[in-house]
Amino acid sequence: MSHGGKNRVIRRALEVIRSFFSTMSMAHRQQVVELTTLEMRELENMFVLLLMGSFTGLPAPPSFISVELMPYLEHELKVVNRRAENSSDALAEMAGFFDVT
Amino acid sequence: MTTLIVLVGVAVYVGLYFTYGRKLETGVVKASNENATPAHRLFDGVDYVPAKTPVLFGHHFASVAGAAPIVGPVLAMAWGWVPALAWIWFGNIFIGAVHDYLSVMASVRYDGRSVQFVASDLITKRTGKLFYYLVFFLLILVVGAFSAVLGGMFVANAAVPSAYIFKIVGALILGVLMYRTKLPFVVSTIIGIIMLIVAIWLGTVAPINLSRNAWFLIMFFYIIIAAAIPVNVLLQPRDYLNSWLLYFGLAIGALAAIFSFQGFTAPAFTSFSPIVSAGKPSPFWPVIPLIIACGSLSGFHALVGSGTTSKQLTSEKAGLPIGYGAMLFEGFLSTVVVIAVAGFGLQLMTDAGQAISAADWGSRYTPAMMATYPSAAMFSNSYAAMVATTWLNFIPRDIVVVIAGMWVASFAMTTLDTTNRLARYTLAELFLPLQTKSEGVYKFFTNRWIASLIPAGIGIWLGWSGSFSMLWPSFGSANQLIASIALLTGTAWVAKRLKTKATIALIPAYLLWITVTAAIIWFSAVVLPTTIANNPATGIVVLVIEIVMLIMNIVFIIDFLKTRNLPAPAETEA
Amino acid sequence: MKTIFFTGKGGVGKSTLAATLAWQLSQAGNNVLAVSFDPAHNLGDIFGKRLSHRKKRITDTLYLQEADLDKAAGTYIEENIGILTQIYSYTRAFNLDVYFKVLRHSPGVEEYAAVTTMEQIFREERTFDYIVFDTPPTGLALRILALPNITITWVDRLRRIRRQILEKRYTIHNISGKYIEKGVRLPFEEKEDPVMQRLEILFKRYMNLYKMLKGAENTIAVVFNPDYLSLRESQRIVTGLSDLQLPLRVAFDNKFTPEQQEVACEVEQQLFPGTDHVDVVRVPMHGYAREGAYQMSFDLTKHFVP
Repeated sequence: MSHGGKNRVIRRALEVIRSFFSTMSMAHRQQVVELTTLEMRELENMFVLLLMGSFTGLPAPPSFISVELMPYLEHELKVVNRRAENSSDALAEMAGFFDVT
Repeated sequence: MTTLIVLVGVAVYVGLYFTYGRKLETGVVKASNENATPAHRLFDGVDYVPAKTPVLFGHHFASVAGAAPIVGPVLAMAWGWVPALAWIWFGNIFIGAVHDYLSVMASVRYDGRSVQFVASDLITKRTGKLFYYLVFFLLILVVGAFSAVLGGMFVANAAVPSAYIFKIVGALILGVLMYRTKLPFVVSTIIGIIMLIVAIWLGTVAPINLSRNAWFLIMFFYIIIAAAIPVNVLLQPRDYLNSWLLYFGLAIGALAAIFSFQGFTAPAFTSFSPIVSAGKPSPFWPVIPLIIACGSLSGFHALVGSGTTSKQLTSEKAGLPIGYGAMLFEGFLSTVVVIAVAGFGLQLMTDAGQAISAADWGSRYTPAMMATYPSAAMFSNSYAAMVATTWLNFIPRDIVVVIAGMWVASFAMTTLDTTNRLARYTLAELFLPLQTKSEGVYKFFTNRWIASLIPAGIGIWLGWSGSFSMLWPSFGSANQLIASIALLTGTAWVAKRLKTKATIALIPAYLLWITVTAAIIWFSAVVLPTTIANNPATGIVVLVIEIVMLIMNIVFIIDFLKTRNLPAPAETEA
Repeated sequence: MKTIFFTGKGGVGKSTLAATLAWQLSQAGNNVLAVSFDPAHNLGDIFGKRLSHRKKRITDTLYLQEADLDKAAGTYIEENIGILTQIYSYTRAFNLDVYFKVLRHSPGVEEYAAVTTMEQIFREERTFDYIVFDTPPTGLALRILALPNITITWVDRLRRIRRQILEKRYTIHNISGKYIEKGVRLPFEEKEDPVMQRLEILFKRYMNLYKMLKGAENTIAVVFNPDYLSLRESQRIVTGLSDLQLPLRVAFDNKFTPEQQEVACEVEQQLFPGTDHVDVVRVPMHGYAREGAYQMSFDLTKHFVP
């Protein structure tokens, strides 16, 4: 094999190794914050429910607080919607997070 | 022999992955990258986010891997290594992995909804509810079985619990480093790994000798406390260390198996009904699925697949390596376990003074094993013996034993506290109908502490009072019942929604259902009477659970057969 | 700058006394602003002037203002709907912006409008020596005075949860931030989170307001009549103010005549049993017509000026 060819192989090999480790790294990083992410979602969910309570009959803060904050809560509202849809199927949600067998 | 079997195992798995697996993919599920997965279609940056396939594989594999693929095969060695491997290889490929794969793909096509939802949709609502009950029973029985494993192991090898406690300390420190300091992640990882190694070493240096009763008490309190602590403090860092333990354990084990070049001392086949459960002759069929669950077939995986995996799958074709492939990989893990025990188990037991040979293996294996190296301890010691015969023997043998023991202990302990979190939720769901009828009762059972204490309490009590060889198949029964229902649901999905030939899944599904039902009947009729004679309370509790599950099983199959020829309900917009 | 709130049932002479006090203080050389939150708009009638949402100069030392809560509420809603429909632009596609308009009549908007007006006045009119407030009828008045307290409680709770959320986001970012594949970039620093910023602003603003209302520079006066008709409601006000820990220091038994001596004593006793830190003052009935009533001779100022 010519020098150029050998270099290419080495470079490809290094690339593969590097991408392997970066994937592993990504996987680990996600693993280590997975439950934190779940907790965060729940808090975001709670936050919006507290604010929007007046629209659903829950005790709520003075509505002006909700109105003032709502423009900035697009992401959180998505979380609430997603949670509401998934609430009927929570067993599956949790089964994935908790290492049972 | 060890080497040969490893290589044959790999060849079987890889070969059938690409043939049978692909056939499932293209012929039955008709997976195509043209169909956008929910991760893309329903992308919301929250739950529905496409993940890189290798990352998702790791996540899925970590969720399905545990202590069960290790403990089950140890017990199954009573039949000889051929039946054990046959189930681990072919049971996995043709039933278990199919079950996992169909569950994941059905979930993907149902927008990330769980198998339970699919069952409610395609069979009856009652079937969906069944899952909650079965999962609840599973959670209790798994605590019973795993605490028995741990109790036995902690007493047999006092270095393991010691190492585990040091690992917990390491996890607490790692938690602080990762979440509260600005230390780069790589650095904290390295420190974590070092602490893990130190913990293992410290375990051998300072073993903790306590009585079995003491360990059970400790486990009980551990479950309650660990389920209440914030996840950043203990759970997450501990799970992270566990993954590194898994890598090392698997790597060392696979290398040792390949380079060991040992023959098997255990017999290939003993008898159809050797002594396995509670001193009773246990017929290979139908009992084997109760003994080897994960590693071959496990009902819980069906639920795991729909939690994160189906919502983050980036393309339908990625479903095969993740759903089907992860299960095969777990089977490989179980293969290594069988190899270790087959190659080195006999020596270990005779060295410990047991009268056992290849000839009377069938009747002597289980009692001898339980007397010398109960369940997981048999694995960790065989594993260490195997490693010692290879170039890896620079690692001191008692360290290797602790590595293997820690591997099992870590995953088993994780099971104990996470089942508690899940059990609290399932309990609340089960008592929901009572909310309007009898609010007092509902409030009682859904109280945070009660809901935590009940499953933990019953589980630990079962583990403490019952015999391991009885508890393990009872856990298997709940798990595999879920599996047979999930697999039948999967076939319903194939038949009704995909409208492809479901035979490839239907035949195994029916066979599985018949097997599991027969196994439960056998278990209740043959094994439990002995238990009731020795420990009436324990035996009766387990018997009641088995009977209730059996009834639910019958209800399910009736519903399934009734709705078999009904068309699927109209597609509702998710 | 000192503030005085006149509270009381409708018709007891609250606006008259407020107007009188404002006049007397201004005549004594103080710069006074009198603000009415009462939708009955008595203040203008008493001075014979047409008043508006903007302060009107009566003399060099006396300015009058009638807060238009309806208008304030409307403006507030319009502004916020504008923002909301911009951000959630799809609402326009579905005509959901119409529903946002319903918010105008949502409970609390009127109180909120009053409080913001009050707060604005506190902030902007610091050149005045005295600001005299004429409050609306009991229920609304109590709700307005309670609003800072309620707001602080809610905002504080929300702040704490938000802080927890941001902490977790920070942790996640710290560990896996660079590696989020197609994720949304969420703010995790308090400085960058508009929600947190708004919560902090609200907290500070209402805390200031609450402190001012509770402080030594503020006085709340209750006006009642020496008859049993006004007793119940007056008790409500007294209890409400006590619950809110607001400084009720003066009580005016207004339109007193000697014939009502017995009833007056009884009523005063019921309202203020043994509370000797409330200055109970009997204001004699005066014969002035509504207009010009502020010119009564009874000196109110000595109960407010130390």
